[in-house]
Amino acid sequence: MTRSSTPRPRTVPRATARVTTRAAVCTAAALAAALTACSAPGESDDDTKASSGPIKVAVVNAQSGQLSSLGDWEYKGAKLAVDEWNEKGGVDGRKIQLKLFDDQGDPTTGTNIARRLVSDKYVAMIGTAESAVTIAMGPVLQQAKIPNITSGQSDGLVALKSPYLFLNGPTSTTYDSTLAQYLVKDKGHKKIAMITNNGSFGKGEHDAFLKAVKDLGVTPTTDQVVTTDQKEFSAALTKIRSTKPEVIFIGSEEVEAGLIVKQARDLGITAPFAGAAPQGTPVFIDTAGKAAVEGTIVSSPYLSNDVSAASKKFAAAYQDAYGKEAELHGAKAYDGANILLTALKTSNGASGEELADAIRDTRYKGLLGDFRYDESGVGITKTTIGVIRDGELVPQQ
Amino acid sequence: MQETLQTLVGGLSLGAVYALVAMGFSLVYRTMGLVNFAHADIAMIGAYAASTFYLTHRLPFAVAMVVAIAVTAAIGLVIERVLRPLENKDFDLMLIGTIGFGIVLQAVAILIWGTTGRAVRSPLPAAPLDLFGVRVRTYDLLVMAVAALAVLGLAWFLARTKRGAAMQAVAMDHEAATAVGIDVGRSNALAFSIGAGLAALAGGLVGPMLYVDASLGGALGIKGFAAAMLGGFGSIPGAVVGGLAIGVLDSYAAGHFQGYSVLVTFLVFTAAIMIRPMGVFGERTVSRA
Amino acid sequence: MKFRAATLGALAVAAWLLPYGLGSYSIHVVNIALIYALLAIGMGLAMGVSGQINLAQVAFFGVGAYTLAILTTDRGYGFWAAAVVAVLATVATGLFVGVPALRMQSHYLGIVTLGLALGFINWITNASVTGGADGISGIPLPTLPGIDLSSEYLYYYLELVVCALGLGFGLFVVRTSLGRRLRAMRDDSLAAGAMGAEIPLLRMTAFLLASLYGGLAGVLYAGLIRYVAPETFSIGNMFILLAMVIIGGRRSLVGCVVGAIGLTLVREWLSDFSTYAQLGYGVVVVLMVVFAPTGLAGIPSRAKEFVNRRRHGHGRRAEADDRARLRPFQPYEAVERPSSTAEPLLDIRSVTKDFRGLRALDDVSLTVAPGEIRGIVGPNGSGKTTLFNVISGFYRATSGQVRFAGRTTTTARPYTLSLLGVARTFQNLRLFGQLTVRENILVALDRTRTHTIWQYALWQPGVVRRERRLRRRAQELLERFGLADFAESAPGSLPYGIQRRIEIARAMAARPRLLLLDEPAAGLNGEEVGQLAGIVRSIRDSGTTVVLIEHNMGLVMSLCERVTVLSGGGVIAEGTPAEVVAAPEVIEAYLGDSALADVPRPQPVPAPAPAPAPAPEPPGGSPPPASPPSASKEASR
Repeated sequence: MTRSSTPRPRTVPRATARVTTRAAVCTAAALAAALTACSAPGESDDDTKASSGPIKVAVVNAQSGQLSSLGDWEYKGAKLAVDEWNEKGGVDGRKIQLKLFDDQGDPTTGTNIARRLVSDKYVAMIGTAESAVTIAMGPVLQQAKIPNITSGQSDGLVALKSPYLFLNGPTSTTYDSTLAQYLVKDKGHKKIAMITNNGSFGKGEHDAFLKAVKDLGVTPTTDQVVTTDQKEFSAALTKIRSTKPEVIFIGSEEVEAGLIVKQARDLGITAPFAGAAPQGTPVFIDTAGKAAVEGTIVSSPYLSNDVSAASKKFAAAYQDAYGKEAELHGAKAYDGANILLTALKTSNGASGEELADAIRDTRYKGLLGDFRYDESGVGITKTTIGVIRDGELVPQQ
Repeated sequence: MQETLQTLVGGLSLGAVYALVAMGFSLVYRTMGLVNFAHADIAMIGAYAASTFYLTHRLPFAVAMVVAIAVTAAIGLVIERVLRPLENKDFDLMLIGTIGFGIVLQAVAILIWGTTGRAVRSPLPAAPLDLFGVRVRTYDLLVMAVAALAVLGLAWFLARTKRGAAMQAVAMDHEAATAVGIDVGRSNALAFSIGAGLAALAGGLVGPMLYVDASLGGALGIKGFAAAMLGGFGSIPGAVVGGLAIGVLDSYAAGHFQGYSVLVTFLVFTAAIMIRPMGVFGERTVSRA
Repeated sequence: MKFRAATLGALAVAAWLLPYGLGSYSIHVVNIALIYALLAIGMGLAMGVSGQINLAQVAFFGVGAYTLAILTTDRGYGFWAAAVVAVLATVATGLFVGVPALRMQSHYLGIVTLGLALGFINWITNASVTGGADGISGIPLPTLPGIDLSSEYLYYYLELVVCALGLGFGLFVVRTSLGRRLRAMRDDSLAAGAMGAEIPLLRMTAFLLASLYGGLAGVLYAGLIRYVAPETFSIGNMFILLAMVIIGGRRSLVGCVVGAIGLTLVREWLSDFSTYAQLGYGVVVVLMVVFAPTGLAGIPSRAKEFVNRRRHGHGRRAEADDRARLRPFQPYEAVERPSSTAEPLLDIRSVTKDFRGLRALDDVSLTVAPGEIRGIVGPNGSGKTTLFNVISGFYRATSGQVRFAGRTTTTARPYTLSLLGVARTFQNLRLFGQLTVRENILVALDRTRTHTIWQYALWQPGVVRRERRLRRRAQELLERFGLADFAESAPGSLPYGIQRRIEIARAMAARPRLLLLDEPAAGLNGEEVGQLAGIVRSIRDSGTTVVLIEHNMGLVMSLCERVTVLSGGGVIAEGTPAEVVAAPEVIEAYLGDSALADVPRPQPVPAPAPAPAPAPEPPGGSPPPASPPSASKEASR
């Protein structure tokens, strides 16, 4: 793998600012020291490729802070895939060494980790679930040519245009245009209300869904925006109630969406809710209550553990390894890890550009569907519509 | 009109919880001169404890609450012992020390209960009441009733019992109270456990309304603190008024300013506190330098 | 001095050579640590030095970073032009956030600033100009001729220079006029006001400094990461910053830097166990606050103190005091007394002061001629200290008028009166506890106004020159009052009698026209009272009019030319000491309280602990200067 090297400047920094006497003395002393040193500092270039020993892959996800549950699910999914490969002997006889880094949902911490991955010669990275962190890390990883398979779905990731960034699922646009198609075309709904939060995820959902329904000639009856840490939604929901919508689009993470649906039912709103991935998770269903989420329409690439033989097998293995039920985020990370490992295998343990190309060339039939990456780093552009019946997400017939 | 009223109802029900949090803040401040920023994190511990007894141990909700209050009050005794050197000292240090304590409590909660958090099902499954188109959740009514009872109980305790009177005496002049034979340490410990118990009550009650996780304290704390300031720090009726005011302000700000509600809430709060720094019920004392 | 220069030089060389030993990841972490160090310096200046609880530092950081990001990506500014605007914008924000400090302090201020920080986070998450929750990417690289700042190694040097200059400037501020006043305000804002410090302006200055450093840190952050998002400026990071400052030592800027760099490195080292790291730094903050409130920076001096105490033992304290002793007062040169027909210097007309229905002063009228020594006596709670507070601007009279030197000063602020020539001492000593005796004197000597702080930015030699002048005068004053041996001591460590003398010296530093002494003999022994009488006479002879409240009737009789007797808030008698003592009203007022004789007074406690407030102090309003027992008695009569 190639390393980022420090371009060597020909001159030494000049202190030009006006300084106090003492500082000037220090600066002069330091400057002299710098002049005596032979060159500017930097890591020496060595292009020696580690072609033996374990292949180092990093998982970067929040293990603390608000998004830590998401981070935990994804780590479990990725680890399951890696463990399976290692049991079968790894890639070309080399074991995969998986290490978890905690980004704490903080972009600054993310950049620290990115530098560490470069320093410690990681071949690839899986994660993060927080688009802002992934975007902050992006330039560093791109410069160091470390492929990154992220779990984010923000269209901002695509806008980064990094050839080393891949999504392990569809973008918000895919989720929401599928959903809009279903609601408007299949169901013939004309009165659609929207409630979304102003976080990275909610904003992405808001923009994608609004565009999708407008393209189909429908204007939402109302467009309510809430904050990510809001707890009380009476005002927004009463406004929605007064417009008497046939269906309500919700763009928010699991817990908040659960609270919104619960409070909506208490306010006498009976229209079904419709949303993307978070609305298919157990946390959402538990927070809102089983009765409240009945009939919720979900656009997701992974509706349940029972949709196919592969998903059943995955769910069983997940249950075996962690004693918990598998869900979408784990499945996404599992797919992402498998794609990476497949590419490693086909490229004979390559790294850098070669590995990124190998990922782009990988055709993979995963839990979420058939992956086929394009130039933008998106590998899957299809979701299916499901409905929650008796607290279970089932495919829409 | 209906929307305005509905928003008011929503604001009041969350406001009742802020009021409970503010009341605990105020009691501890009033009796011990301790600004306890960790109070809301104690409430978070209380919420976890209540939900654990309710969901995992399958105790009835009321019993789970009582056990949680007792457990949290006991934890309160330990915390009081650690923080004792700070009492009646530099307010700035106290603020920082208790912020530190809050960080510790959050980390402890993550270590014990994990990061995922939990949803608590409502103990009152009855359908919401419909009053001329305004829907009122039965559980919210329960919360408001419990909050009102807690206020009355606390007022009765402070005014009518010997221990309450002793606590008031310590509040006024802890040296003089020592001189007349009141055990100040014990009185403070009791005050702190009552404060912690109130926090647990707030936390336990808010569990079924919201979602219990380690960041619950952050959500309740700053607004609870703001509520105490708005009502007048140290005043029990002030805590109630301030709590309801913050709840309603928050609710209307969310309705009118959508995503900008936090900004608006805190700007209004800052303006209000600039106009009347001592809050609604706060008194301008004659001389305390 | 040589040793210090050598240490500094060695540190500078080490810092300069550091990157040669680090990998690209380590240098990045160091770069982040330096940014936090800058933030911590700003935090230390506001919180530790000025006593302003500022929990919006992370928002200042954000304003700097976001302004730069918006200007460079959206408006086409160059990096450095945008950086200048960004720092200015941050300072403007800092001044806005500082406004509440004029009305409230301590935990109130903490919550309000925290609330405003939350509001800022909310705004950047929503607004389209800030890119919403996705933030702003593609910030251009800062350019310097000949230096490629895309290399984090070279970026390190940029940060190092900014940090070193920032730290140097911070230390310069702390150790000269402005910082001394800020520290005096922190220790006792009332006394600082009485010394002529413009408290409102100083509070704003504290926020200005904090935001200046916040803005610089923001600019460096944006240049380093080249991406900004709301999560970076979260409340969680605010608390980490707070922990850095507390652990390092909030009162020492070097401590803040050590705390910031140390905690950043430790957190990075423990990044795989972040919950335990969180637990750890929370525990450390609690322990620090309880056991070492001065932080790491305070540990060397505490250790030294501990060793000294061990070595000398308690009984040998007196021996040490032998070497340093209070020397005799050197009288001022006498000037000719003005004729007694001159206009009165102080003229109080029908002043009434009510506290919530309690009448502390009732229609008090009083004139004091220039060059007079006036005694004010009366039983406890008769309103004497309230009268002083009204004269010196701490209280505003409910009705009536106060005139000083021909001007109406009824509504003047303490610092205005101080500048006009009113100085005072306090019944229960109010020396600046964390300042040395010399610094206590310097604060009072310093008559420059706060607006001259432009010199700090543009003409530092002016500051240095002024400082030299002040120090010379401080030395003269210390010698005159016989205090030179204690110049570097903390006032709290000195005997009570010396503290009393320091207070008088401090009040005289500004060469006031009117000196108000509130029970100057309280707690003094007979010999010290004798010395006091000599000092007061000399002060009067030097042209300063003196008004003193005193219970020691022997002193009043021998010293004062005229005596005013207050009782129950009203004037009951006035005249020469002999006339007053004979007046039947006076005898009646004193009966049952104490005879007209020396009243043995209990030794006052130098620094009463702040009382717990059952009802809060007005958080912004200045609690008036009086000791709790007598003041509450005065009010409750």
